[in-house]
Amino acid sequence: MDFNTQLTLFSTRFLGIFIEAVSFLLLGTLVSGLIEVFVRKEDIARFMPRNPFVAIAAGSFLGFLFPVCECGVVPVTRKLYQKGLPVSVGVTFLLAAPVMNPIVFASTYAAFGFGPILIGRFAITFVMAVAVGALFSLERSPIKLLQPRALLAMAGGSGMAAPQPRTPQLGFLQSLMRAARVATGEFFDMGRYLVLGTALAAGMQTFFSQEQIRALASNPSMSAVAMAIMAFVLSICSTTDAILALSFANFGFPSGSLLTFLTFGPMVDIKATLMYLSIFKRRIVIYMVILPLLMSLLFGIFINLNVRL
Amino acid sequence: MRTRRWFQAALMLLLGLYLLETLLTGEIAYYINERFNWLAGVAGFTLIALGILNVIALLAEPEPGQAAPSSAPNLLASASGGLHGFTARWYVIAILSLPLIFGVFLPAQPLGAAAINNSGIAFSLNASSAAEQVFSIAPTQRNVLDWVRLFSTSTNVDEFSGQPADLIGFVYRDARFEDERTFMVTRFTVSCCVADAVAIGVIAYGDQAPNFAADSWVRVQGKFEVRDFLGQRTPILIAESIESVPTPERPYLFP
Repeated sequence: MDFNTQLTLFSTRFLGIFIEAVSFLLLGTLVSGLIEVFVRKEDIARFMPRNPFVAIAAGSFLGFLFPVCECGVVPVTRKLYQKGLPVSVGVTFLLAAPVMNPIVFASTYAAFGFGPILIGRFAITFVMAVAVGALFSLERSPIKLLQPRALLAMAGGSGMAAPQPRTPQLGFLQSLMRAARVATGEFFDMGRYLVLGTALAAGMQTFFSQEQIRALASNPSMSAVAMAIMAFVLSICSTTDAILALSFANFGFPSGSLLTFLTFGPMVDIKATLMYLSIFKRRIVIYMVILPLLMSLLFGIFINLNVRL
Repeated sequence: MRTRRWFQAALMLLLGLYLLETLLTGEIAYYINERFNWLAGVAGFTLIALGILNVIALLAEPEPGQAAPSSAPNLLASASGGLHGFTARWYVIAILSLPLIFGVFLPAQPLGAAAINNSGIAFSLNASSAAEQVFSIAPTQRNVLDWVRLFSTSTNVDEFSGQPADLIGFVYRDARFEDERTFMVTRFTVSCCVADAVAIGVIAYGDQAPNFAADSWVRVQGKFEVRDFLGQRTPILIAESIESVPTPERPYLFP
């Protein structure tokens, strides 16, 4: 293939992923703006269950309240942290919400019907997100886990790190201006990771052949690894990845490996992982990649070897 | 820093305009499933609105070194007080301008035969539903996706023998095909955006087929004949006519 063809292919894929993802990101930013205006820190404190483990489990169901994919979940989580959400609950929400929401339920149902894949996808996601969240509850100090900027009060002094008194005489126009400044800051802060991740995903799709990865379909453990790699590289939106998983089923991938794809992909893919850097410190992001990877592989391989679906 | 803020505002305006432009020209059909078009529209308007608000804020603020007249405190400027850490750095602005550069300076083209080389092609489709609905469509009205769905859910493909078809797709020749007269009428299906594009195709056969280069768009009319093909009973569209057509406005099919 000559360079021009490859460049055009790369460009089409790059723009396709970008247009789709940036729309979801901006939608997430709008939701985060609504949270800024309508949710007070006291509300979060009031509705947060006292028992930390109950709180973490509840965090995994927050996606039904804020239906977002893995691009939209990042600004929402960041905003919830500024409103005082515990780090562990936020981690669970961040990992679970891209799957545990009504849109993904509908698309998975459309692709696989009501059966082991649908139930398995939600159950495994729940277990993985709660496990990682529980681990993070061991470290109570957000300063050690989060980027300083993610903790800053960005609009009107509701932050937890540097509380600023809200200027009461700020009128509608000024609030609007301030909100625009904040949204602009968020857009550039997260957008840079989105663009880089999108370029990487488009590059992988264009310059590497999927044939070798597909050849691994028949091996129970290697096929799960292959699906995890595909999930990471393709960076498909969690709202529609079920339909693509169906096409992998056509290439002979077993159910356990499909579940690896459907649980790992929404939590960790190139662009989502890079966007996590706008919230968490680098070391923490590595944990958030490795732990779901190991768990989803374990579940996938176990199902491949022991369960006939 | 004001220069960077002007660049930020301009970039958001241009990105928003670019999104709306792809919607208006229909170019968006090369990139995402049409059911997400409204979302791209919302994103476009949001970016433009943010860009305009940033410009207003910049115009309202006093130039640096030029203190605001204390008698009339500038209310708009004070609204962004304490936010100066949120101006993007130059390298961030450069990264965010990449989509604009690709979108504006490279010709927009839908995925074609070249894209199949690294993603492969599906001869059948595991469709859990919808086959019943497809049966209610008249045979000549069915598209490539409809036929592929029917073939993969059918228990006896011989039932398609003799059925007429009228298909539009691009020409793809697999390395396994024996001669130039065999080709696939191919389309990409896109569920969300081109990242999840899957190529599907109906196998066709025609004496005039060698005149049509790979990747060119064709309209094929003919009747199905079920033959042994690569070791499987396969419906093959025997072409009565093949004609060149321009790239469709909506090149992808939506499952």
